[in-house]
Amino acid sequence: MRKLLDFLVRKRHWFLFVLLEIVSLMLIYRNNAYQRNIIFSSANVLTGHISSVSGYVTSYLDLHEINKELLERNGQLEMKLLELQDRLDMMMADTLTFTGFAPDSTEQFPYSFVLAEVVNNSVSHLSNYITVNKGRKDGIAPDMGVVSERGVVGIVSTVADKFSVIIPLLNPKSRLSCKVLGSSYFGSLSWNGRNTHYANLEELPRHVEFQKGDTIVTSGYSSVFPAGLIVGTVSDFEKQHDDNFFSLEVELATDFQSLNNVRIIKNYNQAEQRRVEQEARRND
Amino acid sequence: MINLLRGLIYFVVLVLIQVLILNNIHFLRVATPFLYLYFIIKMPVGTSRDVVVLSSFLIGLVIDMFSNTPGMHAAACTLAGFIREPLIRFFMGKDLPEGIYPSYKTFGYGGFFRYVFTFVIIHHVTLFLIESLTLFDPLFLAIRIGASVVTTTLLICTIEAFNIETQKSGD
Repeated sequence: MRKLLDFLVRKRHWFLFVLLEIVSLMLIYRNNAYQRNIIFSSANVLTGHISSVSGYVTSYLDLHEINKELLERNGQLEMKLLELQDRLDMMMADTLTFTGFAPDSTEQFPYSFVLAEVVNNSVSHLSNYITVNKGRKDGIAPDMGVVSERGVVGIVSTVADKFSVIIPLLNPKSRLSCKVLGSSYFGSLSWNGRNTHYANLEELPRHVEFQKGDTIVTSGYSSVFPAGLIVGTVSDFEKQHDDNFFSLEVELATDFQSLNNVRIIKNYNQAEQRRVEQEARRND
Repeated sequence: MINLLRGLIYFVVLVLIQVLILNNIHFLRVATPFLYLYFIIKMPVGTSRDVVVLSSFLIGLVIDMFSNTPGMHAAACTLAGFIREPLIRFFMGKDLPEGIYPSYKTFGYGGFFRYVFTFVIIHHVTLFLIESLTLFDPLFLAIRIGASVVTTTLLICTIEAFNIETQKSGD
């Protein structure tokens, strides 16, 4: 008995080693099962604040580029405004069509957005995550869509009081329903883990017509993103093994390596759409 | 007491360097240096093995919290910390005086380099294997491991050459 105890005390580092490995593996397992543990992620208070300080400093370094992007975007929107105003004027002038143009009072645009700053961002891992400085207190909830000035970024996964973690397109867990602009057939976009500038759009029916350089946009079927947000452009394509579907290589519009400001999109109808869809599935 | 304080300083400084600077470096998109291993490498020879294993686990866990990889670094570091003692014995023999810090002076240039290199390899292979369980691509994995091992080893050996502590103790 004494010898056994002696042995156990002498070899205690073995037990400690096994115990700690089990703890680590449990953490890994839980993480892969679902991204809900806030304590051990960059959304917790201490790591979040340290990261936000460093994010605050580094955000200055990219100001020039961001400024240029904003100007460009501003210009585009101004053009759009002019175009719409022009069309409105035409309709005002043509009184016959204008009376019929009164908007339907029951129809509202169900989306709004919250601006957020990126405080932590990874692009080099196989599973990448982005942390932003807005959380539950700002009305953020899981499954909201996130976009940058250039295009789609990802989907909110974990939310704490002041921070939230986004699963970007650069994560094998993210799947996004997309279509080629101008057609209505959709496929699902996923990342292959190699290049941060490219992702693959798969399961696109073979008879869809497109060319290299065509724009890929969100399909709007998922209740996360409104339809028509830019995701990227077609850079290459090939037929899949069974020959009935195309697999497209998409050059992503968002530059994940220099991401600073993002918009988180709220959809007021999301909960309701979810509920109806679940009910339909249950009744099926 | 001095060892504890010294360890704490190493811990905080290396974690900050790792999460604020090095985690953002992806040379050619494959190599990321993990300098924080320097903390485990520089612990005094003859520290009890459970202390080494426990502190390795802790530094891994802290790195995990910052880089959103719960458990991965912790698992790899615990293993690396566990085999540290046998590794030193294997390269340096049993007749090392207790309490000395591993460095060029105490281990010799070749000895220290071999020790660091093997240590880094074991840690990186574990880390990258765990990370790529979700998405398997052997060639890309091998490239990533190789490139990261080289950058980490080079960085650690360079830092060691400029470490003020080691140079002072030589006077």
